[in-house]
Amino acid sequence: MRDHALKPFLKYLGRRLFFLVLTYFIAITIIFILPRAIPGNPLAQILSRIATVGSANPEMLSNVQKTLMEEFGLSKPLYAQYVDFITRLFKGDFGTSIHYYPKKALDVIAPYIPWTLFLLIPATLIAWIIGNTLGAVAGNKRGTWVDNVVLNSSLVVSQIPYYWLGMLLIYVFAVNLGIFPNQGAYSQGIIPSFSLSFILDVLYHYILPFLSIVIAAIGGWAIGTRLLVINELDADYTIFAVNLGMRDSTVFKYVFRNILLPQITGLALNLGSALGGALITELIFNYPGTGYILFRSLSTLDYQLIQAIFVILILAIYLANFIVDFIYAIVDPRIRLGQGEGS
Amino acid sequence: MWSAMFRPLFKNPKFIVGITIFIIVVLMGLVGPILYPKDPNAFAGIPERPPCKEYPLGTDTYGGDLLAKLLNGIRSSLYIGVIVALISMTIGLLVGIFSAIKGGVVDEILMAITNVVLTIPSILLAILIASYLNVRSLEVIALILGVLSWPWFARAIRAQLMSLSNREYVYLSRLAGYGDFRLAIEDLIPAIATYTFMSFILFINGGILGEASLSLIGLGPTKGVTLGTILQWATLMEAVRRGLWWWFIPPGVVIVALTSSLLIITTAMDEVFNPKLRER
Repeated sequence: MRDHALKPFLKYLGRRLFFLVLTYFIAITIIFILPRAIPGNPLAQILSRIATVGSANPEMLSNVQKTLMEEFGLSKPLYAQYVDFITRLFKGDFGTSIHYYPKKALDVIAPYIPWTLFLLIPATLIAWIIGNTLGAVAGNKRGTWVDNVVLNSSLVVSQIPYYWLGMLLIYVFAVNLGIFPNQGAYSQGIIPSFSLSFILDVLYHYILPFLSIVIAAIGGWAIGTRLLVINELDADYTIFAVNLGMRDSTVFKYVFRNILLPQITGLALNLGSALGGALITELIFNYPGTGYILFRSLSTLDYQLIQAIFVILILAIYLANFIVDFIYAIVDPRIRLGQGEGS
Repeated sequence: MWSAMFRPLFKNPKFIVGITIFIIVVLMGLVGPILYPKDPNAFAGIPERPPCKEYPLGTDTYGGDLLAKLLNGIRSSLYIGVIVALISMTIGLLVGIFSAIKGGVVDEILMAITNVVLTIPSILLAILIASYLNVRSLEVIALILGVLSWPWFARAIRAQLMSLSNREYVYLSRLAGYGDFRLAIEDLIPAIATYTFMSFILFINGGILGEASLSLIGLGPTKGVTLGTILQWATLMEAVRRGLWWWFIPPGVVIVALTSSLLIITTAMDEVFNPKLRER
């Protein structure tokens, strides 16, 4: 029985993994092609612009230029550049940062990634849970004041960009009321360590950026779930169950299970824009996450760093996608038990 | 027929609220710069002045008139939103309709492309593309956002057309000898028209919000004032921490008013036109 159930499960995961790896390759290829395809060849421009970046050390300049020429390999034919690019990525070599020369791009980015994960993952999951719960309750109590309050406020709140809500929260709670710190992930002057005081300090700084993502993200989930619940409550199986005399709460349990699946898929599809919003929120809060280093690299035109950030961020999103697929496969009995087609 | 179709809309309180807010904001953008003909880029006067008689929304660090910037910003942001919507709707309709009608290999290839574009995080890709362009006009920003945001719409159109072609009334039309063209005009297009219109509205939202995101990260249009670039400068000049509320609050309020009024309009339309959602 178990063995029988495992096969379709693995087959489903394998299919998803194949699709994600393929899409990731396409994404990397786009990252490779873009600078080379855009008229005016930005890469050649960067190489010449390095001379004006303001380093007074001619020897270092020529070193930077040599490293870059080697890494971009512009003199080689395009396919050789591509093969080079991919092989180096597989070795975890994302090139050398121009701005932080001679640091490797990966080493520059690495310390910023945990902060982004620390902010984005809990905020997104909690918003998803609260939003789905609110939406489900509203859909179930359709037409009541609860439904009206949830729907109408969600319609407005869901359109607030994370970062603008962040600005408002800073202005009200940090600038005017002075209850929360107005920027950063921890107080200046404190050395990061695993001490209680540091952890408390981090949590204290965490509240505002966390809230701006959670609050702004709740609305969208609530609207979606409410619609799904309303549709499910109209479905034949629900009407049948109600006519059998099942209790409302029991019926609702079945409905809730059914709406969970599309909302799990929704979570996977939403990750990209959630990340985009979180990156800018970090910027508003001067939060030392990937958004901050991305902004730095964009303003210094450090393309090696920019490329590396995108290769890593997109990889992170696809990994998260795969985890969501995995959870989906476990939640959906059609995949778990190998009945029906699944997706 | 038209009045019978649209009268119920105007009985829906959500629709009335949404359309009123939307029209007010649009008028601000279209008529505002004419009624308040100040140059948004001019150095108007004393920097960082709170709202007063002379400058109803105050000034920024460079002495720019923020009301003039806001009114022109609404205009440009709407312009970007509409272009994004036109581009995404066209691509989405073409892909969706071709997939559904042709089926087979064409369908599979088009859907594979759609799924790939759907999975690649579009805002990240937009940032990457914009970072390689030295000059970015409003149209270029709209183009970047437009070519990345159509997939969900294409999929929905395809799914709707597929389920339509199994309906009895379509089958009857075929039996009656309708050609492909007449079938499309009389049976298929009316069925997807409302959905397409609602999606068009949501695409405008996506365009406005996308522009704001790009601008905040420093990759918005290089020429012209948009709602996003006002917020960008407010951020760069630390307007929030220095308490210059008149700089960053109005553009955000306008963005939220504009996008949520559009969302409210589509929700109301859904409630009125979708029999499943109609109040019983």
